[in-house]
This record gives sequence, C-alpha cells and structure tokens, in this order.
Amino acid sequence: MGIFKLTIFIILIGGLIPFATYKNFSLMKILSVLFISLGSLMGVIDSLFKLNNKEIYNVTYKLSDIFIVALSINNLTKFFMIIIYLISFFSVIYSFHYLNDSSKALRTALSYFLYSLLIISMIFVVSANNIITFIFSWEVMSLTSYFLVIYNYEDFETIKSGYIYLIFTHIGAMFIYSAFGIMFAYTNSLNFINLSLIPLNIKTLIFILSFIGFASKAGLFPLHIWLPYAHPAAPSHISAIMSGVMIKMGIYGILKIYTMLEFNSIITGYTVLAFGVISGVLGVVYALGQSDLKKLLAYHSVENIGIIITGIGIGMIGQYEKNFAMALFGFTGAILHTLNHSIFKSLLFFGAGSVIHNTKNRSIEQMGGLLKNMKVSGLTFLVGSLAITGLPMFNGFISELIIYFGSFQGLKQLPLTQFASIIAIISLAVVGGLALACFTKVIGVAFLGEPRNDNTSNAKESGIFMLIPMIGLSLICLTIGVFPKYFIKIALYGTETLFLNSIDFHINDYFNFSTSITNISLLFFLILTILFTLKYFCYKTKKIHNTSTWSCGFSKPTTRMQYTDFSYAFSIIKFYKPFVLFKSDYKKIDKIFPNKIEYHLEYLDIAEKYIIQNIAKFLDLFFEKLRWIQHGNIHIYIGYILIVLIILLLLI
Amino acid sequence: MKSLILFLTLIVLAPLFSAIMLKIKAFFAGKKGIPLLINYYTLIKLIQKTSVYSISTSQIFQVGYLITLATTLTSLLFLPFSGLPPLLSFNGDIIFVLYLMSLGKFFTLISAMDTGSSFEGLGASREAFFSFLAESAFFMVIISFFWFDEKLSIASYFMANNKINVWNNYNFPLPLVGISLFLILLTENSRVPIDDPATHLELTMIHEVMILDHSGPALAFIYINSYLKLLFFSSFLTLLLFPRFGLDNKWNIASFYITLICIYISIGITESIMARFKLNKVPKFLVITFSLATFATIIIMGFAR
Amino acid sequence: MSNLILTLTVLMVLFCLGSSRLLSIIYLIAFQGFLVSVLPFFINDKITISVILFILVTLLIKSFLIPIFLYFVMKRITIKREIEPIIGYNGSVFLGLIIIIISIFIGNKFNFHINHHNTFLFPAGITTLTSGIFLIIARKKAITQVIGYLMMENGIYLLGLILSNHNLNIIEFGILLDLLVGVMLMGIVLHNINKTFDDIDTTLLKSLRDL
Repeated sequence: MGIFKLTIFIILIGGLIPFATYKNFSLMKILSVLFISLGSLMGVIDSLFKLNNKEIYNVTYKLSDIFIVALSINNLTKFFMIIIYLISFFSVIYSFHYLNDSSKALRTALSYFLYSLLIISMIFVVSANNIITFIFSWEVMSLTSYFLVIYNYEDFETIKSGYIYLIFTHIGAMFIYSAFGIMFAYTNSLNFINLSLIPLNIKTLIFILSFIGFASKAGLFPLHIWLPYAHPAAPSHISAIMSGVMIKMGIYGILKIYTMLEFNSIITGYTVLAFGVISGVLGVVYALGQSDLKKLLAYHSVENIGIIITGIGIGMIGQYEKNFAMALFGFTGAILHTLNHSIFKSLLFFGAGSVIHNTKNRSIEQMGGLLKNMKVSGLTFLVGSLAITGLPMFNGFISELIIYFGSFQGLKQLPLTQFASIIAIISLAVVGGLALACFTKVIGVAFLGEPRNDNTSNAKESGIFMLIPMIGLSLICLTIGVFPKYFIKIALYGTETLFLNSIDFHINDYFNFSTSITNISLLFFLILTILFTLKYFCYKTKKIHNTSTWSCGFSKPTTRMQYTDFSYAFSIIKFYKPFVLFKSDYKKIDKIFPNKIEYHLEYLDIAEKYIIQNIAKFLDLFFEKLRWIQHGNIHIYIGYILIVLIILLLLI
Repeated sequence: MKSLILFLTLIVLAPLFSAIMLKIKAFFAGKKGIPLLINYYTLIKLIQKTSVYSISTSQIFQVGYLITLATTLTSLLFLPFSGLPPLLSFNGDIIFVLYLMSLGKFFTLISAMDTGSSFEGLGASREAFFSFLAESAFFMVIISFFWFDEKLSIASYFMANNKINVWNNYNFPLPLVGISLFLILLTENSRVPIDDPATHLELTMIHEVMILDHSGPALAFIYINSYLKLLFFSSFLTLLLFPRFGLDNKWNIASFYITLICIYISIGITESIMARFKLNKVPKFLVITFSLATFATIIIMGFAR
Repeated sequence: MSNLILTLTVLMVLFCLGSSRLLSIIYLIAFQGFLVSVLPFFINDKITISVILFILVTLLIKSFLIPIFLYFVMKRITIKREIEPIIGYNGSVFLGLIIIIISIFIGNKFNFHINHHNTFLFPAGITTLTSGIFLIIARKKAITQVIGYLMMENGIYLLGLILSNHNLNIIEFGILLDLLVGVMLMGIVLHNINKTFDDIDTTLLKSLRDL
C-alpha cells in the first residue's frame, strides 16, 4: 500500500511542478515527464508484482462525516491499474516532443497538471470502494479529460467537440448515479455492501441503468457519438489516453457492477451480447467510411469495445448456463482484449499524431508515401494495424481467439444460446474481415504510394521521444502475440475476481494453445527467414531496374490517379446500405461549357442521425415550451432563488 | 515421417495440379493444350530473370509477397493429408490458419497499394470486399463442423476417427457444406466465375491486377503462393470428400490423390463452362455461399445430434 | 431420403429468394414442385394406387402445367426478364435464413411428428409457406407474386402431409385446382393489362386507390 501512495504522490508532483517552472519551457517538460513517467513505471511494476498475491487491500480515510474515501484493491483493480499506468507512461513520454509550442507554456503546464489528475482519478475510479469515492473520482476524470480535449480551444470545432463530449459523459454519469441512488435506497449504505440481497427485478434495473451509463463512457454503439468528435479534437497523447484507457473505465464499471450484484439473468446476457455485436460490426463499417485518420481510429474504438462487450456477454451467458469454460473464455478474452486494445490503440493514436503533426492535416486523402520519409512511424503504425486487425503474431489475435473459444463453447448449450453464439462468431469474423479492409486502406493510402501534396512529401520523422513510445508499444504487441502464455495468466488474475464462486483450475486445461502459438510463431519466423535467404540468392547476381509504376500503357500517370481511400471503401460500405446513410451533394452540369463540377459524398452514422432527429428534436421542442422561465428580468430571477430557498428549507 | 513425405510431395506437385486445370480448359476449347510441366518451366524462367521495381514503392513491396508465401506454407503444415497426423496441430488451429491467411492477404493488399497505381487499388478494394464475405462463409462451415466434433482443430476433424466425411454415414447436409466450400475455394483463389486469372483486361480483374508490378523471382514466389493456396483449399475439400478404406490403409493415399485431382478437374470444368460474373453479381454469389453454409449448419443443428 | 428432399425444398426457397431472373425462378419453383410432390412416396407407409394417382396428378400440375403456363405468359407479354425486388436479394436471403431458424424454433415447440418420425417436415412447411408470403410482399412483378402463391401452396402441402392421415388429400387437391385456375386467370389478366398499359408493375396499382 505504501508504494501505491508513493506512486500517486510522484505523479501528483509531476503535475504540480510545471506551475513552478513554466517560465523555462524545456525544463518544465523534462521535470514533469520525468516524474509522471517514473510514477507510472513504478505503478506498472508494483501492480504486476502484487497480482500474484490474492489478498485484497482495503483502506479508508475519513475526510468528513459524509466524505469517506474508501479504497479496495483486488486483482481486477490491479489489472486495470496496469493498463492505466502503462499507457500513461508511454503517453507522457510521447508528449515531450508532441507539445513543443513554447508560446503556449502556461497552457502546457496546465495540461500536465490535468493529465496527472486524470491518471490519479482513474486509479481512484478502479479502486473506489464506496459510492462517494467512485462518484467523486468519476467526475474528476470526466472534467479533467474534458479540459484536456479542448487544449486547442481557439478552434471552434474543438469547442464543439468538447461540448458534445461533456454532454455525453454527463448523461452517462446521470444514469450511473441514478443506479447508485437506487442501490443506496435498498442497502441504506454508501458502501458497496449487501448488494446481493437486493430483489432481482431491482437488480435488473440497477444493472440496466448502470450499463447505459458505463456504455456511454465506453462508447458502445448508440452512445458512441462523442468518440468521433472528441478524439480528433484532442491532442494525440490525450486521444491515446482517452481511447486506450479512459473508455475502459466503462468496461471496468460494467464488470464491477456485474460482480457486485452477483447477478445472473439470461436476458441481460443476450442483451449485452447483442449490443457488443452491433457495436462491433457497425463501428468498423463506419470506420471504413472515414478519411479523417483520428476519426477512423475513434470508430475503431467503438468496434473494439464491441468485441470486448461481446466477450463479456459470452461470459455472462456462460455463467448463467453453468458452462464454466464458456464463462472463463468469454471473460478472459474480454479482459485481455481490454489490455490489448489499450496497447495497440494508443500505438495507433501515437502514429496518427506523429503523421498529423508532420503533414499538418488529418485527412488521409492528402497523404501518401509517408513510409519513405517516416520509417519508424510508418512501421510501428503497420504493427498497430496488424494488431488491431487481429492477425496472428500480434496481440489482438490472442484475445479474439479466446473470445472465439468462448463463443464456440456456447454451441453446446440450449438452442437460443447456440443462435447467440453463431451470431457472435460470425460477427467476430465479419469484424475481422472489415478491419482488414479498413487498415489496408489506411496503410495503403496514407503510408504507401505517392505523396498527394507538398506538405506530405516534405514530411520529416518526428522527434525521438515520440518514437520511443511507439517502438515500445509495438514490441509489446509482438511480445503478447508471440508469447501469450504469461499475459493470459495476467488476464486470468483479473478474471478470477469475476467468478462468484471461484473454481480452482489449471491454466493448461484451457489455455494449452498458448504454447503452441509460441512455437508456431517461431516456426513462421523461421520459414520467413528461409524465404528471405532464398530471395537473396535469387537476386544475388542480378541488377534491379527502377521505373515508374506500370499503368497499362498510359505514359503520364499522376498522383491524382492513385486509388483513393474513398473508392477503396465504397463498395463495402454500400453492402451495408441500410445501416449507413449516404449524403451526396452533386451540382449537375447545366451549361454548354461547364465550370468545375463538384461531387461530395458523406457517410452518416445512423445513431447520430436518429438520436438528433428523435431525441434531440423532441427535447428541443419540450424545452422550447419552458423558455418563458428565462426572460431576462433580474428581479424575478432573484425571486426564483427565494422560492427555491423556501422550498428547500421546508423540505429539510 | 509419412506425413512429412506426403507434405513435401504435395508441395512439389502443386504446380502440376494447377497445370491439370489448364489442360482441362484446353480440352474444352478443343485445343491440344500446353505441356503438363508448363508451370515448372514458367517458374524456372521467372527465377532466372531479374526484377523491375517501381520508384513509387517502398520496402513493403519487396517483403509482402514473402510474408504471404510464408503464411500459406505455415497453414499447409496443419492439414492432415489423407488422414495422416499433420505436422502441426493444436486446439484452435483452424481459426489460427484462417487468420494466418488473412495476414498473407493483408500484405498482398498493401503491396498492391504500394505501387500507387489506380488499377492495383481497384483490385485490392475488390479483394478486401470479397474475401471478408468468403471468410464469414468459412466460419459458418467451421460452426457446422463443430456439431460433429467439438474441437477446433483441423486434425481432429479429418483424422482417423472419420467423423467428418461425406461417405461416412447418414451425413446428408455435408455435401452442402462441400458445395459451399467449393464456392469459397473459387472465391479465395480468384477462379472463374468470381475472377478470371487468364484475362488481362485490368478493369475486370481482381487478383491478377494486384500483382501487375511484380516481376522476375518475385512473381515466381507469388505464383508458388497461388498454387499452394489452391492446394490448401482443395486439400481441405478433399479431406471432406475422399472415400476412406479403414484406418491406416495405404489405399487412403491413392484415394486422396484421386479425389484431389478430381477437384482440380472440376475447377477446370467450372472454368470452361461458366463465364465470369458481372462484378456486382459477385457479392450476391458470396451471400448465397454464406447462406448455403448457414443452411447446412441449421440442418445439422436440428438433426445431427 | 425424405430429409434430403426436404432439405432441397428449403434450399430452393433460398435460391428463389436470391435469384434475380424470372426464368430461373420459374425453373426453381418447378423443381420445388417436383420435390414436394414426390415426397409422399418416401414418407407414406403404404402406397396404394390412389396415392400414386394423386401424386402423379400433383406432379403434373405443380411441376409441369403451371411452370409451362408461366413460361408462356412470360414469353407472350413483353416484360423485362429481371425480377424487380422491393427488398434486395441479399436482404431477402438473410431474411430467408432467419425464417428457417424461427421455423425450427416453432417446430420444436409444436412437436408435430406423431405420425412421422420426420422432424423436419413441419419447419420446412412453415419456411416454404412464410417465404412464399414474403416473396409476394417483397417483389414488384405480378408474375413473381404468382410464384409466391405457388411457393405458399407448396408449404401448405407439406403441412398437410403432417396433419392429414396420409390419405387422399381432397382439400389439398382443391387448393391445387384453385391455384391452377388462378394462374390461368392471372395469365389472361396480365396479358390484357399488358396490352392496355404496357406495364405489369403491381406497385402502379396504387394509383387506383381513392384519395
């Protein structure tokens, strides 16, 4: 527990130091990055070592009669703490070269302070053991991340995105707090105790309310709208933290509520699974339609959250149907995927940040050929893409494989569960295929081929401190992919907490494929080496010619003739037509000598459109009716205050 | 040891099998046709040549095809040819193999995009589209296999216990699975009616267009990969279809070879008697393939147990 | 064997939902008619002369008379040979799959296999029937609607095989004759509509409604 406090203290110092030293920009950054990264590294190592012993640490501090800080650190908490500290470590190093505008020194100082607060608040969220602590840290987390998103607040778009994020995060919080309110009403205690004694229908209500709340934080399908706004607006290392770690707090919340309620109902299992599946498939379909690099990654977060939730759904169904293997695989897959996603998604956001930083635009339509100038960023981005697509040798595959195992276990159960499992398996396959299409698009259009404008062709590689985290994270991706056994073990520590009645089992009974994967991956690399040698001998004595790309007899190809990301994705998106709305804008030729004509096509998110159309418009109409309350007369405003005071006094 | 020999012979013979297909097509066209060893001659010729690299390309272009070939080779190691134990196997390997193939596809696609050509992007886009549909159909096939054998390993599907085989017993939905596997084979290996490997009209091509800029030994490697990939899918289908004569019978191997050649012949026949689909018909074809597999799964779900 | 026939019957349903050409859908429905009418051979315990006669007549009507008639209608009236779907082919096929799954669920609920040990008969019947109705809803051309009716009738026939004690199916036969007459009428009416309006799109019938 001592190291736990020390870690938080060091991170806090890292956040406070910049205020003292912001006059000297580099010194401020060096000190702050040093402290925060040191603290985070300590946190990772500490949590990793503590995973082994199963004891649960409980701490309470009484700040006042109502505000009691209660912390409890179990294995699931430790697992999430690893994620938080790990990404925080890399992300803060990345920020050293990323935030390099010395004219914004004070703002940068503030951003480091908020960053440290965000990390600490997330640590408190995962270790909170009573309602007050949870709500308080949850709120701090939401607010600090909001302020971090609007780092570039001069930009109107950024403010708008931040606003959307604020609305969604607070609507989510509202649901969570109402769930907690109901809990309090039944247990009459601010601690999370005796929750299993609540009647079943109330439990269901609590679960649904908190599921909605946590899903809006996690970015599950109909509530994901803030993601594609907030991520592009935020600085890249903040996007990495938000997408890699903060949305996982939603996952943690769902898992925590599920464990605390000791709640078992088949219907909720199916519902959770259905949301996961929908979110997975539609997330990747929308991602395909994006050409803004960070927006695309944001939609991929929706997809991956979908996969995680699918895993949780499988686990819940397995738990209900008393199929231990199914539950184990589902939960372990989901938890491991949480770790994996945080790793490769931060990697991708770092890569995107590096690219955007150097090409000065966000649209991949303007990029091209970046791999030639930005070797490290390009290759690490490639590794991230392979990992997020879930291809073997990389970490995404391992967790998806485990979720597949869980889903296949479901085929042994009742017909309805069989049906659900089939849907889960097929949607995982579809998601994999579409993610492949999406990332070949990104890699192919942005990093390969010819540059599409001057900014892109003159792009330089980023500073060394931006590259180190990227290299580090890609190595972790590869390590988990090739040597999954140890990491599955780590995930299993987290999973243990979820089982209401823990069963002792041996890792080899269920996860014996992990060693095979290691061997086969090594064999694969061996085969690859042999092929490289063969290739070397084939070309040994020959001279290789270089010409321009063959364009079927056409002699003057230009970069404008390259295949674009838009055309690449179009046919696939058209296949999903009912779920993607097309908004096209085409000015027809109307003169004999036509001017420049334009064609503009945009893909709209159905959730966004229908939520705006139905809920927002309805609310708008409703609140329009209440406009009369706000009329600008200051006297009556003071009258309102008086009335409220009197009412409150009467009530209390 | 037996498996290793079988594996090596099959790999060496793969170009020959593909040539059988060409021979069948020539027969249908009323021609004498090229010699059966044509593919070996082509490979030798290509390896002796040198390559031309486009100035637009990066290292990905020079590495991609090797990775693709490595994935195909590794996947072939998992197949229990003629029911003998495979060289590699673990529970879950079928998913591993499918994803390994995707890894190969990923590199084919990005090598195509690497040239910055408008045609190759076209091919890549189509390949990405069609392969995700074909992949989901393949997963449906796996689900249907799960009812016979609650494992996820190719070896346990097709090895001696003889559970999943058309000739086995009253497995009437299995031929349906076989048909949909055959359609998946046609798609994944870009054969007629999905794609025509023989045309050189780039606008209609899918797979061939992606490798336009490869030449010399690189092209030879790509050809080897396509032979091996075809070998993988046809062997998978063969394992489902070939008649067996008890455990450890040497006739098994003969029967395996004959069925394998029959499959190549039937691909040749399909190519000869069918025309290529209009491109917008292809997704429909794949949806039909998927529903066929789903249908078989439903039937098996209802009755096999 | 009967399972194989039923499987093929349901498969024909899927193909019908996915096919885009009028000619092929007529072939498919003819084949389905053939499959359905030979089915009693394989599930009836004892086969009498009357059963054989009945089967032969059904076979004649279902898989020869009606399809041939439809074929001639198609040749006579000059229409595009393409089915115009309201709900796309891919969507239709997926819906067909969902219909099959739901029918199996329903089939498990009802447990109709008292007379026959064939559990697939009921789901197959329900599937064929529902998909027939679906075809009527989801396609524009009048001729495809007739095919939808035919498919529906095939479904009813399958269900009838369970319910009646495999005797002569008088009711079934009546429906069949009704259908034959209906198809003929449709041909004549279509022919006339075609002559008058140059189109047989049923969505245009909307213009006849009162405002």
